[in-house]
Amino acid sequence: MNNKVIVIGGGVAGMTAAGALADLGLEVLLLEKDSQTGGHVKNWDRLFPSRRPGKEVMDFVGKSMGTGVEQRCNVVVNSIDRSNDGFTVHMENSEPVSAKCLVIATGYELFDAHKKEEYGYGIYDNVITSAELENIFREGKKLTTHDGKTPRRMAIVHCVGSRDEKVGNLYCSKVCCVTGVKQAIEIREMLPGCEVTSFYMDLRMYDRNFEELYYEAQQKWGVNFIRGRLSECAENPDHSLILKAEDTLTGRPLKLTVDMVVLLVGFVPGAETRRIAQMVGLQAGADGFLLSADEHVQDNSTSVPGVFLAGAVKGPACIVNTIADARATALQVKKHLTNLKTK
Amino acid sequence: MGKLYDKLAEDVRFIEGLKACLNCGTCTAICPAAEFYNYQPRQIVDILQTRNDEEIEALMKSETIWYCGECMSCVTRCPRGNAPGLLITVLRSVSQELGYFVESEKGRQQLAIKRTVGEWILKYGYCLYPSEILPQMHPEQGPIWEWEHENMDEVMHRLGANYKKTGPGILRKIPQEDLDEVQRIFDETGATERYRKIEEYSRIKADEMGINLEPGLDNDYIRHIYTVNEKDHTKDA
Amino acid sequence: MKIEGKRNIWKDYQKEIAADRYFYVRSCVRQNFFPGSEKTFLRIMKEELHKDLFENAAHTTCSGIGYHSDVVPFETAMTMVARQFSIMTESGYENFTTSCITSFGLYSEILETWHHFPEVEERVRQHLLKATGRTFNKPVNLSHASDVIFKFRKEIAANGQYKLINKNTGKPLQVVEHIGCHYSRMFPGKGIGGAEYPYVLVGMIEEWGGEVIDYPERRHCCGFGFRQYLIQANRGYSISSTKKKFDSMAPYKPDFILTNCPGCPMFLDRWQYALSEMEGITYGENGHGIPVLTYEELAGMILGYDPWDIGLQVHQVPVEPLLDKIGIPYDTPRKFLTMDGKIMGQPKAPSNLKFYQHE
Repeated sequence: MNNKVIVIGGGVAGMTAAGALADLGLEVLLLEKDSQTGGHVKNWDRLFPSRRPGKEVMDFVGKSMGTGVEQRCNVVVNSIDRSNDGFTVHMENSEPVSAKCLVIATGYELFDAHKKEEYGYGIYDNVITSAELENIFREGKKLTTHDGKTPRRMAIVHCVGSRDEKVGNLYCSKVCCVTGVKQAIEIREMLPGCEVTSFYMDLRMYDRNFEELYYEAQQKWGVNFIRGRLSECAENPDHSLILKAEDTLTGRPLKLTVDMVVLLVGFVPGAETRRIAQMVGLQAGADGFLLSADEHVQDNSTSVPGVFLAGAVKGPACIVNTIADARATALQVKKHLTNLKTK
Repeated sequence: MGKLYDKLAEDVRFIEGLKACLNCGTCTAICPAAEFYNYQPRQIVDILQTRNDEEIEALMKSETIWYCGECMSCVTRCPRGNAPGLLITVLRSVSQELGYFVESEKGRQQLAIKRTVGEWILKYGYCLYPSEILPQMHPEQGPIWEWEHENMDEVMHRLGANYKKTGPGILRKIPQEDLDEVQRIFDETGATERYRKIEEYSRIKADEMGINLEPGLDNDYIRHIYTVNEKDHTKDA
Repeated sequence: MKIEGKRNIWKDYQKEIAADRYFYVRSCVRQNFFPGSEKTFLRIMKEELHKDLFENAAHTTCSGIGYHSDVVPFETAMTMVARQFSIMTESGYENFTTSCITSFGLYSEILETWHHFPEVEERVRQHLLKATGRTFNKPVNLSHASDVIFKFRKEIAANGQYKLINKNTGKPLQVVEHIGCHYSRMFPGKGIGGAEYPYVLVGMIEEWGGEVIDYPERRHCCGFGFRQYLIQANRGYSISSTKKKFDSMAPYKPDFILTNCPGCPMFLDRWQYALSEMEGITYGENGHGIPVLTYEELAGMILGYDPWDIGLQVHQVPVEPLLDKIGIPYDTPRKFLTMDGKIMGQPKAPSNLKFYQHE
């Protein structure tokens, strides 16, 4: 089994880590539970902040794996054994595979918007999630209300499932703010007659070109931003939606009627991540995401020697950070294996 | 600094109700009081978390704290587990204890509540009592209540009540020994003292305002606080 | 609107409700304004369901209205509640059922407070002991009387003589349900169906044949607001809240409104009258208003009880058009008679809201 590494999870993090490990001369097996690799990003149309096609990034990441990575999809991991010599991964319908190191790159899940009951997702037909909107964009469908009309007014709701003790998630999901701004522009671009209002608490435009995108949304596209968290959503007789929020900058309660609402759903730790973490004895933080050995200086390794983490298993992350993180993980794996040899 | 804040924080409802506010406005958005009055529950939390005694004192002397209807809609929504409605109950308690309530016209109304609901609890063992709910003080109760009021014994009998009679049942006469227990609970737990303070501070304020205050409900001060809005309190004012 | 979405939420908010042996405490508002409802509840529990439901004459108000209008301190309210528990304990019961939503909310709040701050419970025990010599056990099961009717909604339907069907069209009646704020807003888990889409009344309406209306201001308070109604100068708050709800529900043409809080039906009933007098506005069909029922009254109607025995004559908004729709007979000449059939006059008719009087 020499220098074999198994990467669990075939999204941007896993694919990047696998490619980088192969580049470093290691034998890599990439396991993906779905029928194809690409994780969440394969479902995304365009990426912030430049709005380049997501496919370009996916193609790059895919190519980066070259021919050195063995990929298996539709894999269900049943159990993982630890020995002095490394790990053996037992899977459904195939022989167990052993490796010196494991990279956990099982990512995240999107917050289940049903849990934010007062927003009426799954109850009111014209409440959709940001992922569903992205799917409409990606498939080139027409953006219409449930009964086929072109919306004249839409709202984008920030922090759905994030920064919210009521749903058990205190953390910020990091990518929703800028995604909301991007999607607001895209709605305006697609439907120039449709007004877009965003309800936010803070717009965390922390990265390069994010603030500029926000400026563009306001200045060029006329997107309205209201500083106030959506309190509730109800349905009018004509199936339009009535939103209640406070404009906290003027200190007044306001009601806004819109044709559609887009909920910017945040990241939550995945059930699969929890399951795999249990198999190898990894701890999760209070937020449910996995803990690395040290949040600052050993953020790619874990308390279990030979087990490494990459990407959003450690918490919400954007693509650029995920790629950088996965490459760093590959280096740490290589270093670990080199150290084992010299011992 | 912080003495008033510390006093508020002695109340478990304050500890339960004040975590840390994001100023997101979900409370104000659905607050029935915010739709009617110049009121924002968010502002209450915002002021309290400054821990600034001057501001807190001003708040307790203001009309603001008396606008809330204690429906607790805000509690359902707060993403940080704050309870502005509970904080209001604490602010109102301390405002009455320190006599600040008479500094606002909405606060002064507490005397009328004390002399109605407050005293009915001790006199009858009920918060409301039909013979006390006078049609002239309750025109919205309509002709049906006028009729009921005129025929209360018979109406209550027809509707299955045990009105004014002994034993269990609707609007029964609550035995004196039970009313005595209620009185002793009030003495023991601070209600009697609060009633005394509401009376005492109101008396001083009535003198200061030059409005006649007598025992009972039939006097100028009670009529004034019960019926008059000297200013427009609504959000459109 | 997709009802499946709500059904999925309802699954998450199940609540245990005792099956028998209830210690019953009354509601101040109910006893004053709709006493027939409490009488009907007892009748259903005993005659239809054969349950052991006990009332001890020593119980009093919980002081909840005094507490929420801030003249009664929390310490006092907690000790008043402790006294009610003491009477329950002394009576040999452990399932506490209250007629009032303000009480139900207060009991829930206090039990939760004691759970988080055991030293407060201990202090209250000392207060109660010192003031009254009493001790108490906490209830094993706490429910609101509407929870109990919800629990037995199928049995009531099985014994029922009527369904919430318009007898002329054969279609289900369209019903607005209004939940008392203190039922589950503070503690969503304490209410059947939670706080956002409470199921307690919906379950009754569905079981008894009606359909529920979802309208934008469904969650808005009726406008009681305690001091906002108790003081005349504040009643603008109260009536404007009610008006907001009626304006929002009117386009759906509800046949009636069902409530589970003692105060709400009174406000939704009386403010319709006040709006008709002040502004000439009447909701519902042909100046009849929209009838507002308590869940006990509705259960009594389903079971075929005489409308005047369950107290429908003391509604300011007439209930007769609804009785006609369902096909429930009523004897107008008996509407305002005494128990022994004597005449005691009758209420004056309002200026704009229709009213049913006898000759």
